[in-house]
Amino acid sequence: MEASAIIFYAIAAFILGAGVLAVTTRKIFRSAIWLLFSLVGIAAMYFWMQVEFIAAVQIIVYVGGIVVLIIFSIFLTQNSGKEMPKTNWRKILFSTLATLFGFGFSYNLINEYSFTPSTQAFNVPIKEIGRQMLSPTDHGYVLPFEVVSMLLLAAMIGCIVIAMKSPEQKAAEASVTETEVHTTGGTVTIISKPEIVEEV
Amino acid sequence: MLNALLLMKQELAVVAIIFILLILKLGKDRSNVTFLNIVNTLLLLNVVAGFFWNSEGVLFNEMFRTNPLMILEKNILSLGTLIISMQSYSWLKTHKHVPEFYILLLSTLLGMFFMISGGNLLMFYLGLELSTIPLAAVANFDLTKRQSSEAAMKLIISSAFSSGLLLFGMSMLYGTTGTLIFSQLPAALNGSDLQIFAFVLLMAGFAFKISVVPFHLWTADVYEGAPVAVTSYLSVISKGAVLFVFVSVLYTVFKPLAGAWYNMLFLLSLLTIIIGNLFALRQDNFKRFLAFSSIAQVGFILIGISGSSQLGSTSVIYFVLIYIFSNLAAFGVVILVSAITGKESISDYKGFYKTNPVLAWILTIALFSLAGVPPTAGFFGKFFLLMAGAAKANWMLITIAALNMVISFYYYLRVVKAIFMDKNEQPIERVAMPLMPRLALYVCIIGIIATGLVSYVYDYIHSLTAPF
Repeated sequence: MEASAIIFYAIAAFILGAGVLAVTTRKIFRSAIWLLFSLVGIAAMYFWMQVEFIAAVQIIVYVGGIVVLIIFSIFLTQNSGKEMPKTNWRKILFSTLATLFGFGFSYNLINEYSFTPSTQAFNVPIKEIGRQMLSPTDHGYVLPFEVVSMLLLAAMIGCIVIAMKSPEQKAAEASVTETEVHTTGGTVTIISKPEIVEEV
Repeated sequence: MLNALLLMKQELAVVAIIFILLILKLGKDRSNVTFLNIVNTLLLLNVVAGFFWNSEGVLFNEMFRTNPLMILEKNILSLGTLIISMQSYSWLKTHKHVPEFYILLLSTLLGMFFMISGGNLLMFYLGLELSTIPLAAVANFDLTKRQSSEAAMKLIISSAFSSGLLLFGMSMLYGTTGTLIFSQLPAALNGSDLQIFAFVLLMAGFAFKISVVPFHLWTADVYEGAPVAVTSYLSVISKGAVLFVFVSVLYTVFKPLAGAWYNMLFLLSLLTIIIGNLFALRQDNFKRFLAFSSIAQVGFILIGISGSSQLGSTSVIYFVLIYIFSNLAAFGVVILVSAITGKESISDYKGFYKTNPVLAWILTIALFSLAGVPPTAGFFGKFFLLMAGAAKANWMLITIAALNMVISFYYYLRVVKAIFMDKNEQPIERVAMPLMPRLALYVCIIGIIATGLVSYVYDYIHSLTAPF
């Protein structure tokens, strides 16, 4: 076995192992960290394939952005430190079977399909990628770029509307908190706030 | 340059409206009534402008293409949006976030336009996302209701899941064919197992969006929880847009796989009609009832698509037009009643005719059209769909569909019976109709009757569709 093949299998095992741990661990915070490792592994895979730009994007977007967002939202929810309830064996059995079937099925299909290896070397400078992304001429991607910016604008406005509280709501909440504390008479109770469902 | 701008006129118009609203929002405070008047005028201008300066062409390396049929489809959607906007006048008058509501709604409309015009899997996917993500935020617009948040959550999770399937299918399609461009895909499709699998995933993604039966589980809950105006938008406009794209993609891009998708459509349409009908039988909430009825209607549309002929694509577009008018008329009444009285269940509508004769008649005509009673357009729509499906001479499918139409008569007429015959101690009090909702409802009723009787509409659509 060649050295590069050994590295490939090592990275693949790392990704899969971290992925399995992410779904089996019973503490939600650990699960997020394992997901982080899995995503770093995927970035390593891109480096192995020598597509440095995509590897960098993978790290910036997934590791730097999405996982941090997930960790933030875990901190904001209650009971984030507690262990989640044990899954029963039936669920474990059937999800394992489903995973194995999915793996076997797609492996079989991809294996049967005779892909022709590309003869061209994939060597595009990042400068070229940037230029093509904003080019309005042939093979330019300025239209999708603009559509994505509209999508982000809409998503931002949606988030603000959902998360923003009107002055009356704030006042109502403050008064509720005060009365609750008074009635309990000295004992400190945690008042559960109404859950806010956030869109990402 | 000018030519390129004219080709994208509908998209640019919607973007312009979005930015006008944004600027108005940031400016001085305006009352909701002036705001609604401004928005509805802009939307009306948008619909009218859609009919002029039509041209045909391709831009950005086939990422954007347009032709008279696409322009017509976009006009249908703009008209539907205008009608919904006018119908929700009573609801929005007291709402705190009117500008944001319209910005989000119009972003989804923009997404649908790009999806219809997309000549590339990437643009198609972006359009689809732009047309669903803001909708989830809009579904949460009853900000004080928990159910509304739940609806938004379910919508975003189910749409994320379906996008996942879609993307997996697309990536495999790209891997096997090496192109994302629609016009180059048919030549590269060879019907190998991997491509069929990729196509199945794509089909599942589509099926989620139009809530075809095994993928329909989110529909009823989302429809029930979301504000009524959003529900009607979801069930009419966004479904209509995806159906337009679905037909054109199946008939052009995946034409080489026609044998494979006929069988899928056969199975899906049977399941959809039967299960949609059976669940609609036992609903009491009006929105859930309309949700399941719309699932059943999509089943009929799938039969029309399975015909794979020019008649198929014509009848689907024709039916979507009729479906927009009839469903919006029904929803329009529900929106009005729910905005003023808060009542949303069918049993509340007992004795509705005594107090609100005009609304009762509008609702009845709409339900007749949905059921397919002859003088209304719904009959002609379903008739053409079944005609198109019959081209394949699969009589079992057509027979079962026809029998299911009889079942659907039962539950639509049950509502009509409640409105006209059942007695109620406390019927819904008299609901005042402001000018805008009244106009919108009249447009719907004229649409329901005229699209069926004026054969020009059908002939015009037929002249635009391409032969299979």
